[in-house]
Amino acid sequence: MQLIKKKRTRELLLIWFFIAPSLAIFTLYRIVPLLWNGVLSLQFWSPYKLPEFAKLYHYEEMLFYDDAFWQALWNTIILMASAPIGIALALFIAVLVDTQVRGRNIYRTIVFMSYPVMTVAVGIIWQWLYNEKVGLINYVLISLGIIDRGIPFLESFDLALPCVIVASIWQVIGFYMIILLSGLQNIPPSLYESAAIDGATAWMRFQRITLPLLKPSIFLCFVIGIINSFTNFDLVYVMTQGGPGHATDLLITYIYTVAFKLSKFDYAAAMTIVNFLFFLGLALLANKAAGGEAGAIDVGK
Amino acid sequence: MHKYPHWPIHLVLVFVSALMLVPFIWVFKTSLTGENIFSYPPSILPKDPHFFYYVDVWYTIPFFRYLVNSVIVSAIVVVANIILNAMAGYSLTREFVGKKAIIVLYLSCMMIPFQVTIIPAYLITKELGLLNTHLGMALPVCSTIVCIFVFKASFDAIPKSLIDAARIDGMPDWKIVFRLMLPLSKSAIATNVILAFIWSWNNFLWPLVIIRDQNMQTLPLGLSRFLTVVEDTTGALYAFCIMVLLPGLIIFLLSQKEFIAGLTKGAAKG
Repeated sequence: MQLIKKKRTRELLLIWFFIAPSLAIFTLYRIVPLLWNGVLSLQFWSPYKLPEFAKLYHYEEMLFYDDAFWQALWNTIILMASAPIGIALALFIAVLVDTQVRGRNIYRTIVFMSYPVMTVAVGIIWQWLYNEKVGLINYVLISLGIIDRGIPFLESFDLALPCVIVASIWQVIGFYMIILLSGLQNIPPSLYESAAIDGATAWMRFQRITLPLLKPSIFLCFVIGIINSFTNFDLVYVMTQGGPGHATDLLITYIYTVAFKLSKFDYAAAMTIVNFLFFLGLALLANKAAGGEAGAIDVGK
Repeated sequence: MHKYPHWPIHLVLVFVSALMLVPFIWVFKTSLTGENIFSYPPSILPKDPHFFYYVDVWYTIPFFRYLVNSVIVSAIVVVANIILNAMAGYSLTREFVGKKAIIVLYLSCMMIPFQVTIIPAYLITKELGLLNTHLGMALPVCSTIVCIFVFKASFDAIPKSLIDAARIDGMPDWKIVFRLMLPLSKSAIATNVILAFIWSWNNFLWPLVIIRDQNMQTLPLGLSRFLTVVEDTTGALYAFCIMVLLPGLIIFLLSQKEFIAGLTKGAAKG
């Protein structure tokens, strides 16, 4: 009896010893920062003196006086709203590479290739493609006779954000395609066969069989799109630095600028809290809409 | 199924592939020739290619230094991820008081994107004295929740009888994890390696925040800094781009299957 008890104690010790390091990392770099953000956002903070309680001062400033914040929030929403375009394109490509065409694996590889590539490099490539004088896009447009002179895409207030969005879709589309493709391959072919026998046209089969059964994969893509719009720092930082003005600033890039360029940690913390709540609300909403399936991990017993 | 002609599909797919490939090809071409103003007729193949820009990059900027830093950080992250995640994953296959709370805690942590933690994370790293260090860059991503659950699922699938047999033979538990269960979880390890490598190799925001020292910069930092100091039309920038892209692309092309499987598993990581 004593022996079993002793053994169990040793077992428990090992279990906790094994879980301790990862638990420490998550506490130190996820939970504590989240709470600390909350505290910081209610303080006047400066590296040189003791913090003072600021009540809701930063939140007031952000919500009522800071146009750049609203611009960044709006840009984040637009980036998010553009996700369905990328997903629709990816679905189109996924359906095509799901057929029996020869070389489909090569096509898949090519489309996917831009995803694992370093985003900083993608940003550099695209800001060059958009270049007014030597960019490939202007070159093509001029040789086709659509425009006479190069357009400074990334310096334009109206065009800069759409241009960044195109680059971001270009990078992520292969990933959407892979997710949708694995969804497509899980649909039993017998369904299509029996529908075809019943005389359903290809379009009807797509609408009635493919789309409904693909719902979980589409939602997963959507969740990735939402996460992307909150985390896509690298691309904007490299391509435009949030400019011109704040035309391409996302919440995350604006927070970075305020915190690490202007050294206003307290104010940036308040924005982070708003950013986080917004993100959390959307993620929960998306999860609910998907019936708790989107992005769910199998936790096991 | 119905027979349908394949050529329209090929037509569309070739067009799509061109859109995906042309940026890469053009960057590669420019890195070899430096010519940005296009020649008539425009050619896909570079005229008079040379490697001067690559030589330039190698000697004028501390490319090797950046590379070494990137490799060190990624190595720390990958090794730490395998060991720490396997340990935590094993614990979660066992029964103990507080297990439910831990799982809930981990799942909630997944809802906190790293990006919303940068300000306090910076202050914490500063307190720990880890600014401008490899460990400081690596520490926040030394364990990942998705991968913990990947390991847990893999460990759950190992037959109980095998573990019991090892236990009866007097194998201590920690040995069971590292000598028996880990070698049986090859695909979980592959997922871990790939995800950890991608996240640390491409990581930009975090090093940008905590690294001030020139000698500690990683490849993405060096690349973005180089962009600000050179004219963005020189061949050297694109040679640098290619040198940064190539290792990742080669690794991807060599291990495509594991790569895609791994990334899909880690899809919804916050």
